Amino acid sequence: MADNPATELASEATEDVVADEVLVEEVSIDGMCGVY
Amino acid sequence: MACAVSTERPRASFDLDAAWQLAAQVQVRPERFGALLYHFGTRQLSFLKSPALLAVVRGLATQPSARAACRAADVPDAQLASYRRALGTLAAAQMICRREAT
Repeated sequence: MADNPATELASEATEDVVADEVLVEEVSIDGMCGVY
Repeated sequence: MACAVSTERPRASFDLDAAWQLAAQVQVRPERFGALLYHFGTRQLSFLKSPALLAVVRGLATQPSARAACRAADVPDAQLASYRRALGTLAAAQMICRREAT
């Protein structure tokens, strides 16, 4: 099914998400306990 | 310099040709993997997992546009879309904000 445009679009979207996660990761420290 | 106010959703439509800057409440800590950004207002951390992205973020204040900051940091054209999305993520988290072009 490599010729399926929908499959290709889904694959590209997945790659985009992966690329974003590689470059930027967000974390909130709200709710964390301890010394900071 | 104060951030320009915008009502648009930055992550959905990050404008590479606009002038951006690091938000005043954000502190940058360089790391081997890239950098840690901490926003004292939102108490959010953002991990920049690329030294080149740190160079882009640092260049925003002196470059006329985010696109120019990417070029100055030697971001390949093939990776520009990824960096645009990454900057959009930072804008949505208020780590960077629009500034008035000078």
